[in-house]
Amino acid sequence: MEADRGGSRRERWRGLTELSLVRLRNRATRTGPRRTIATVTAVALTIALLVVLTGVALALAGGVAEDTDADVRIAPEDGGTFSSIDGVEEPRLGETSQRSATIREQDGVDHASPVLVETGRLETGDGSDHGPVLLVGVVPDGESRTVAGVPTDGLEPGDPHYADGSYDGVPTGDVVLSEPAADRLDAEEGDELGVPGAHLEGESTHPPLTVTSVEGEDGDSESDVPVALVHLSELQTFAGSGDDELADTILVWGEPDAAASAAADAYPNAAVGPVGNGGPSALFDDGLALATGLLALVVGIAICASFVATTAGMNVDHDRTALAVLESVGVPASGRLGIVALSTVTTAMCGALLGAALGFVGIRVVNVVAGSAVATTHPLFVPYAVGVALLATLIAVPYPLAVASRTSVLEEVSR
Amino acid sequence: MIQRVLRRSSARDSQTGGDSDANTAVRLDGVTHSYGSAGGRLDADRDPTVIALRDVALTCDSGETVGLEGPSGSGKSTILHAIAGLLVPTAGSVEILGTDITRLSDHERTRLRRRHVGIVFQRFHLLPSLSARANVALPLVQAGVPRSTRRERATTLLSDVGLSGRATHLPSELSGGECQRVAIARALATDPDVIVADEPTGELDTETGSTVLELLTDVGSDRAVVVASHDDDTLAITDRVVTLRDGSVMSDGG
Repeated sequence: MEADRGGSRRERWRGLTELSLVRLRNRATRTGPRRTIATVTAVALTIALLVVLTGVALALAGGVAEDTDADVRIAPEDGGTFSSIDGVEEPRLGETSQRSATIREQDGVDHASPVLVETGRLETGDGSDHGPVLLVGVVPDGESRTVAGVPTDGLEPGDPHYADGSYDGVPTGDVVLSEPAADRLDAEEGDELGVPGAHLEGESTHPPLTVTSVEGEDGDSESDVPVALVHLSELQTFAGSGDDELADTILVWGEPDAAASAAADAYPNAAVGPVGNGGPSALFDDGLALATGLLALVVGIAICASFVATTAGMNVDHDRTALAVLESVGVPASGRLGIVALSTVTTAMCGALLGAALGFVGIRVVNVVAGSAVATTHPLFVPYAVGVALLATLIAVPYPLAVASRTSVLEEVSR
Repeated sequence: MIQRVLRRSSARDSQTGGDSDANTAVRLDGVTHSYGSAGGRLDADRDPTVIALRDVALTCDSGETVGLEGPSGSGKSTILHAIAGLLVPTAGSVEILGTDITRLSDHERTRLRRRHVGIVFQRFHLLPSLSARANVALPLVQAGVPRSTRRERATTLLSDVGLSGRATHLPSELSGGECQRVAIARALATDPDVIVADEPTGELDTETGSTVLELLTDVGSDRAVVVASHDDDTLAITDRVVTLRDGSVMSDGG
C-alpha cells in the first residue's frame, strides 16, 4: 500500500474533517449524547438570551416604527435615551401637519407625513380586550408607501378629520392591521374595532374603526409587532395630542437632497437625516437601545466563551485516549488539534442555531408575558447569533486545544 | 476460517536508510531510558528517576516474530514504545529500516510511524464513536488516501480478519476478540513493515486469543513483528523470545 505518498494535503484535511464530523454525529446520537448535549445546550441558552435582549434593544430603538421606505426623517433633536430612562415622554415635533404641508410643496419632494406612535388598545365586536397594539398615525397620499412596516394603501388618501386644524372633519375610521395585529385582535378585513375612551370634539363617542386591509399575509413581514395604521388626526384625537399637532417624526419621500433641504428649512432645530431600513441599524440611532444591545453582546460573548471553554475542555479531557490513539496511528499534532477545533466549532454552531430558534421563541414568550411588544425579531438575528457564537468559540477554543496538546500518548495507551 | 491473505501487498522500496543489513527491520543498540528525567532539571529534582531500560540491544528481521517476556516493569512496553517512536530513549539508537528515529523530529517520527509501524494495544484502543471500518481506515486519513480507497482498503482488511459482517458496527457492539481483530486490521491499514503488539491476548479468553495469535502469525510471515506478553501461548508463536528483567536483556533467543 503506497499510503502517504500519493495523498494530497487537501484529501488529508478533507478526511480529518469527515472524521471529526462523523465522530461528533455518532457521539451525539449513539455513544455519548450527554456531553454533546451539555455543550449545545449551554451555547443555545446563552445565544437565546442574547437574541431576546437584542430583540428588546431593537424594540427600544423603535425598530418596527422606523421600518419605512421614506428617504428623510425629521426627529426632535433631544429625542432618545435619557427621557426614556426617566420615564418622561420623549420630545415631539409640533405643528407637524402645517409644516408637512409646507415641505410637500418643495421641489423634489414627493410626500411628507407626520408619524405619531402610541401604544393603545382596540376592542373587537364582542368587547373583549386582546392586549395593546402599536397605533401609528400617518397622512397617506394615495401612493404606495410603507410606514411602521405596513403599507399605507389601505387608508383613504389625505386626512379629512384634520380639517385644516379644526379636527372636526368626518373621521374615515380606516385602520390597516399588520398580520401580528390581526392575529392578536382576531380581526380580519371588514371587521369593526372600537377605541376605548376615545371621543370626538363635543364629547361624542368616536365611531368604530373599520379594518380596510390586513398586511403581511404574504409572509413578507419581518416583525411580530402588532401595528395598527390609522390617519394621523384620528390618532391625535384618541391620544389627546391634537392641540399642538404633535407627532414623533415627519417622514419625507422624494429626492434625498431636496427632501433633506426642505426638512431642514421646516425644522431648523430638529434632527434631519436619512432613514435607515428599520432593522438592526436603528439600534445605532438610540443610545439606550445601543447600550442594551452592546451589553447583551458583551455578556453573551463572555458567557458563551466560558461555557464553550469549560464544556469543550471537559470533552477533550474525556477524549484524551482517542487523541492518544490518533497520535499512535500517525496523526500529527496539527491534525489532532484540528479535529478538536473543528469539533468544538461545529458543536458551538449547532448550539448557536438552536439558540437563535430558542431566542425567537423567547421573544414571543416575553411579548405574551409582557402583554405588549417589548421585543421584536429580525431575520438578521440568525447570522448575528451564529457570528457571536463563532467569535465566542474562537475566544474559547485555545483552552480545549491546550488540554489536547498536553495529552500524553504513553499515559493514555498504558492505562 | 480467517483468510490467510494478510501478506504484504507488494515488495516496496521501503528501506529508508542504507546502513543496516538489508533484512533487519528493527535494531535497538545501547538503548537506555529513564523516566522522571526528561522534563528538565526542576522535574528531575522533584521526581525520582526510574530506569526503564538499561543498555538494551535487540534486532528483528523482516519475516521474523520476536517475543518479549518478563515480569511487569521489566521494560517490555517501553521497548515497544521506543520501536513505535512513541518515546525517545534517553540514550542509544532505535533504527527502523535503517533510520535512527531518535535523531528525527517529532513530526518526522510521527510520519515514519504512520508509514512503517503498526501498533496493536492490549486494550484495543478503538475509537468508540467510529465504526469498525472507520477505525481500520483511521491511519489512512492522515496519509491523504481518498475516501473511496480508504473504505475499500478497510473493508478488505476487515474481511481478511473475518469481520466482513461487522464493518458498520461500533466497538461497543463487538466482542473483545472482534475488537482486537479490528485493531490488528487497523495496524495493517498502511501495510507497515513493522508490527508491535503489547499483550495482544491479554484481554481475551483462550479460544479468542488463539484466533488472534493465528492472525498475528499470518501477519508476521513477511513483516517484523515484536510481541510483548506474559502468555506462554503467545510467546509460543514467536521465532525468538527475548527475556527482560529490570530493563535489561537477560537472554535473547531462549
